[in-house]
Amino acid sequence: MDADALRDHLVAELGDAVEPDVAYGTLTVTVDNGDWRRVAELVRQGPDLACNFFDFLCGVDEEAAGIGVVLHVYSIPHRHHVQVRTVVPRDGGHLPTVSDLWAGADWHERETAELFGIGFDGHPNLAKLLLPEEFEGHPLRKEFALLTREAKPWPGAKEPGE
Amino acid sequence: MGLVDAVELPQPIKFVFNWGRRYSLWVFNFGLACCAIEFIATSMARHDFIRLGVIPFAHGPRQADLLVVSGTLTDKMAPALQRLYQEMPEPKYVISFGSCSNCGGPYWDSYSVTKGVDQIIPVDVYVPGCPPRPEALLNGIMKLQERIGSESLHQRLGNGDRPEPIVVGADA
Repeated sequence: MDADALRDHLVAELGDAVEPDVAYGTLTVTVDNGDWRRVAELVRQGPDLACNFFDFLCGVDEEAAGIGVVLHVYSIPHRHHVQVRTVVPRDGGHLPTVSDLWAGADWHERETAELFGIGFDGHPNLAKLLLPEEFEGHPLRKEFALLTREAKPWPGAKEPGE
Repeated sequence: MGLVDAVELPQPIKFVFNWGRRYSLWVFNFGLACCAIEFIATSMARHDFIRLGVIPFAHGPRQADLLVVSGTLTDKMAPALQRLYQEMPEPKYVISFGSCSNCGGPYWDSYSVTKGVDQIIPVDVYVPGCPPRPEALLNGIMKLQERIGSESLHQRLGNGDRPEPIVVGADA
């Protein structure tokens, strides 16, 4: 299915629960936290969607809006991509795990949990993956202070991203 | 180790002993990032550090004389590096290859990168560059070999008297 057909299919299945957006030929559906698991199951198991290949799951710091979580999956039989996106609160935000639907999501959820400080309910082992055990804080949040930057100003001509 | 670090050896014996050591440096390459590719390039036909007696086929740290840290060391990886360094038998040498292992390099403000391997293990030679060319590593190895050639293990191991580290290119 192409992105527009996918959008119509998901809207027909889920109604108002999804907010679809097609950009650069890829469908992104924004859902509420409560619908995260239901949409993931449909995308994984629905016969017309059958997204059996897990690409990635990551966090995005959207500042006042909260922490965005993006799930990108692909269907090998149908050759289409679907992105599912949601925003959780900054404090105590948590989502149900999708690691039982896609085994590859296991480590991605661990990484997102430690770097952004959100929880994944039902995850088999939400231990730190990349950071040392004793690390404090969630370094990919915008408010995380880089200690070296506190001690020494950025030496380049431009700030990163400028 | 026994005799060599307990007493100062007579000069002729020391000369032969050090001559043997400097031309059979078994290397343990701790390749962590793109600098490891430059290390491999140095070992291949064009630069060929095997002609200097540098042998990149140590089976593990217990068989190695020289540790080359080439790449970005993270805090998560640091305990592994320290442990492998401790597994190496004395006398052992460390080359810190590239900006990341020297001081953190382009990741100087990162939350996860160790700002210099010299924070956890003693370094004998620093090779600056991002990444350094193979010639720079060859230069560092030759400087280290010169030092080994004129070195006293009684001073280094017995007295714990380590000379200042070499910085490649600092005298150019």
